[in-house]
Amino acid sequence: MTNELQAVSLTADADVIRAYGELTDDFNPIHIDPEFAAKTPMGGCIAHGTMSICLLWQSMFRSFGDGAAQRVELDVRFVKPVRVGETIHAGGELESADSQTYRVWVRGDDGVDRLVGTARLSPEGTTA
Amino acid sequence: MTQPILWNDFRPGASLGEITQPFDDSLASAWRGIFGTGDAGTPAEGAGIAIAMMMRGYLGVVTPRPPGNVHARQRFMLEAVPRQGEAIRTVVACLSKEMKRERRYVDLDVRGTGEGGRSIYKGILTLVWAA
Repeated sequence: MTNELQAVSLTADADVIRAYGELTDDFNPIHIDPEFAAKTPMGGCIAHGTMSICLLWQSMFRSFGDGAAQRVELDVRFVKPVRVGETIHAGGELESADSQTYRVWVRGDDGVDRLVGTARLSPEGTTA
Repeated sequence: MTQPILWNDFRPGASLGEITQPFDDSLASAWRGIFGTGDAGTPAEGAGIAIAMMMRGYLGVVTPRPPGNVHARQRFMLEAVPRQGEAIRTVVACLSKEMKRERRYVDLDVRGTGEGGRSIYKGILTLVWAA
């Protein structure tokens, strides 16, 4: 098992956020309407939380290879919003080789976590 | 216009419905437009599409929603990578809800199955409901 996941990055600019809204059919104005978003507790537009999860999948599967893990159990918390225009980085480190568990994260350029959690792998045909 | 589903409307244990959607070329193309073509056709793309289909399924079933909902936590078990061209059936149920620090939390159970009923994903979305 690899000790460190390959980091993958993405800039969540307005075009990317709009495109992700189309991919997921999620046009919540908190992502795309600055006037609406300014009046919410977020104080402005934020990227979709699951965009960070997709980036995390890229990091994991690039690290494991195509056939390395057929089942992945992910448990993540969104600890800080990703603002429009921010570049985010997904990665992680091996936490337990015995349980095949990684500590995973998505961070901004400022090094502050946006998403944290764990990913537990199990090969095809076994129970996670 | 139909009134949005409010936090008060959720009944823990109640099914919210289901929807079947295809993993078609347009989804793959949209994913590549955001995350690049380097992972085209790989499990990285398939896993991302699984997340997208879970969201499309949830949003297709639990509608209309009040604007401004946000994600707090997500538990997601990827059990198989969806195949391009496969129809994914998504079933949504309300697991629980809770008022915490004046925020309205709701847990939704979202499960996706593909061809022949094979399990693709099981997810629990914890959302802060806006109203």
